[in-house]
Amino acid sequence: MLSSTFTRIARQAPFHDEGYGFDLFGLQPSYLARAVQAVRPLYERYFRVTSHGAEHIPPAGPAILVANHSGVLPVDAAMLCLDVLHRTDPPRIPRAVADHFVPRLPLISTLYARLGVVSGTRANVRRLLERGELIAIWPEGVTGPAKPFRDRYRLQSWRVGFAELAIRHRAAVVPVAIVGAEESWPLLARLGAHAFGAPYLPIPASPIPLPARYRIRYGAPLHLGRDPADADDPAAVAAAAATARAAVERLLDDALAARPGVFR
Amino acid sequence: MKVLVTGATAPAGASLVEALLIAPDVELVLAVGRDLPPAPSTDSRLVHLAADLSRPRVLHDLVWGEARARSIDAVVHGMQHRKIGDRGAAVHAQNVDATRELVRACSDHPTIRRLIYRSFAEVYALDHAASNLIDEEAPLDFDPSSAQWVRDRVEADLTVCAHLGGPLPIAVLRCAEIFAPGTSSQLWDYLQSRVCLRPLGFDPMINVLSLEDAAAAALAALRAPASGVFNIAGLDTLPLSAAIAESRRADLPVPGPLLSPLYGLRRWVAGFEFRYDLNLRRFHFGGVLDGTRARRELGFAPRTPVRWPRPWWHLLLDRLAAERARAA
Repeated sequence: MLSSTFTRIARQAPFHDEGYGFDLFGLQPSYLARAVQAVRPLYERYFRVTSHGAEHIPPAGPAILVANHSGVLPVDAAMLCLDVLHRTDPPRIPRAVADHFVPRLPLISTLYARLGVVSGTRANVRRLLERGELIAIWPEGVTGPAKPFRDRYRLQSWRVGFAELAIRHRAAVVPVAIVGAEESWPLLARLGAHAFGAPYLPIPASPIPLPARYRIRYGAPLHLGRDPADADDPAAVAAAAATARAAVERLLDDALAARPGVFR
Repeated sequence: MKVLVTGATAPAGASLVEALLIAPDVELVLAVGRDLPPAPSTDSRLVHLAADLSRPRVLHDLVWGEARARSIDAVVHGMQHRKIGDRGAAVHAQNVDATRELVRACSDHPTIRRLIYRSFAEVYALDHAASNLIDEEAPLDFDPSSAQWVRDRVEADLTVCAHLGGPLPIAVLRCAEIFAPGTSSQLWDYLQSRVCLRPLGFDPMINVLSLEDAAAAALAALRAPASGVFNIAGLDTLPLSAAIAESRRADLPVPGPLLSPLYGLRRWVAGFEFRYDLNLRRFHFGGVLDGTRARRELGFAPRTPVRWPRPWWHLLLDRLAAERARAA
């Protein structure tokens, strides 16, 4: 089932081809399908990802997945994107929104673009929502992965830009909790090196991620505003962002309470 | 409609003149270039004039003399110096001063009712934090270390923009790179080499515009009443590596710091125009114009793909393959 889902990405996933097999941002579904095939053992066997509530992901139309963020490298983002591809039919390609320093990274920037990752600028996200795409945003930004292990599963600073866009474009917001990433690859220290504009150089506690089981929970979609004009109201936007944050926190609490163990 | 076209002997201007003469609502085209074309036109609606518009008096006399006498009602200004390495006061006079004088001369003109200024995507600043999708509000390149070629284009663009909202309706068309020979297209020149060097680890998205679509955009702007700034995106949006492959060239990624000296050497030895320093940010971060506003307000959508500069034997093979497919 999983294999067939992944191989269907190249053929069935809705995609705005600009004429050469790529979309405006460089996404190439055939490349994505190959990459997904390559990391499939990580998803299935190493992290043994389980998820609940994927039926809350809208099958079409603009939508935003809003999740907690952790881990030395964005393995949690990769597992979420794989899970969305696996659980939706036809597969919806989630457009993960990355921080501004990512385009400066050689190789990574190109790899990410082919996989559908976009830089988190207003114009980029606006175009994707206008096209009815599914976006994945981690509103904590780098503060999520940068937090010490003792603060695991505590949401850090919470940006509000996603709420403004959701209101303006009437996009459903699906809260998501990702459990397992914190223990899988804890951060030992941060070095103040800023190579390629990265905010810090992470020093992981283990050389490779530990095989903690990933558990992903999707919440019911939130419709954060009735009137697109509310997107210009700072109070309305802040309230909408807080609503989404509270929903993610609830999902995290439920998932943590229900898990039998970190590695089981 | 009676239209004055500047830069009419350059490829983009000539293409526009051609498109205007096909349009049924165009009564007269006053085509102004530095030189007269080698063969006179047989179309009675076309009048060629040779004039050096970098001289303010010549420009003023053209607008208030010939253009007024012929009741010109619209101007398309596309004259820009095309040699990327040239610099100095004379180049600035052609790029910026002539634009300023032209807008000023048109502003209170008795017959001119519309001005279209063909600007360039190069006026936008590209960096890692910029959007992949460049809309009209994107920041402009005010880097003082940029080449005069870029600085002149930014200054000329802003000179025209300063008149937006005035009595003369103006449309500034910020066109994606027109991909054709003789248009000062950096990408065209870059793709002339058999081996194209690309920064290792980067494969940015690019967008190019065909001559036909550039002319169609100007025509759409002449007919539409809208004023303002409009991005004119081309039909072809693809990664740089795909553009190299489409041109049947070899793609060789090399470390970024080597590219500027290597392409400097190429320029020095073989006389090519491509300058890596001018394209460094584009070759790392890319940037595709968002043509939504032009589509909405001017009714312009690109339709014609560019022609990739393939070697002749590839063109021959492509044609043979097409013939064989048709026969089958």
